[in-house]
Amino acid sequence: MPEEKDYGPFEVDQHITAHSRYYAGKIGSLFYTTLRDHKKFLGIKCETCDKIFWPPRGTCGRCFSQLSEADMVEIGPNGILETFTLVTYHEPVHPRKAPFIYGIIKLDGADTGMAHFIDEVAFEQLETGMRVRPVFEEERKANILDIKHFKPV
Amino acid sequence: MTREPFEQELVSIPMVVDVPYRFAAGKYMSRFLIELRDNGRFLGIRCPSCNRVQMPPRIVCAACHVKNTEWVELGQEGTLAGFTIMYLPLTDPTTGKPHKPPFTYGSVRLDGCDSVFDHFVNIEPDINKIWVGMRMKAVLRSKKQRTGDLSDIIYFEPIEGQDKVT
Repeated sequence: MPEEKDYGPFEVDQHITAHSRYYAGKIGSLFYTTLRDHKKFLGIKCETCDKIFWPPRGTCGRCFSQLSEADMVEIGPNGILETFTLVTYHEPVHPRKAPFIYGIIKLDGADTGMAHFIDEVAFEQLETGMRVRPVFEEERKANILDIKHFKPV
Repeated sequence: MTREPFEQELVSIPMVVDVPYRFAAGKYMSRFLIELRDNGRFLGIRCPSCNRVQMPPRIVCAACHVKNTEWVELGQEGTLAGFTIMYLPLTDPTTGKPHKPPFTYGSVRLDGCDSVFDHFVNIEPDINKIWVGMRMKAVLRSKKQRTGDLSDIIYFEPIEGQDKVT
């Protein structure tokens, strides 16, 4: 072709998309069905280490002992706020639109904390170590969003 | 060995992980995509050493590794070089949505080109109604709807009135 046109830089938008299914397993399933049916939290206790993990898991994170449903114990429902952050931008992986607050909550009786939303409170009023309680969804579907969020007691 | 019946309710959740991204097409693919979008034509590139024509165009000839320089315009028609019938969904990278199976996916060698180009083929996914050597033509989106990616080609479809040579 004789004519030399300047084409300039060009960008293309695409997606990498993975369609998958998350399997909660025996211990995870019991945790979610108990949350849905009784609004109660289950942790799992390692007798060797004398530690209670939340959320429950199949092996001890410290000594790798195999744990079973028999090791599950009720914890919470209240706990303490270990740390928190304000999310001010939105990413597709977030289940909520920004701004919202993520906190790490250690339930009473548990030795580990887990992330969830903190709501019904101004960010400025939050302090690490403060007592929080869960707020449950009316219609629960056996997933972690059966807990709407935690709020200060 | 017998297993005890499993009575516990097991929980599973469908998940979609979608990562949108943007890439710079580079000098040669930019020209290819802009020509496809604006003028609806296919550009290939000829190797100065072996005369092989590649489409989509690459800077380096895949056969003899010298720099390609001569642009050539290719037509809309070609020959089916291979095909497969897909029974699993294929995620379309331009949308992130799965393409519903069953459907036919094929490699088309445009007239005057030496490399093949893979795209959807608009034909009933029936092994008896599709064959290697079938004459195909590209079906493009209307100029208004073209965005400058490979979804501007909707599919290739067989030119009417052909019979399988047995």
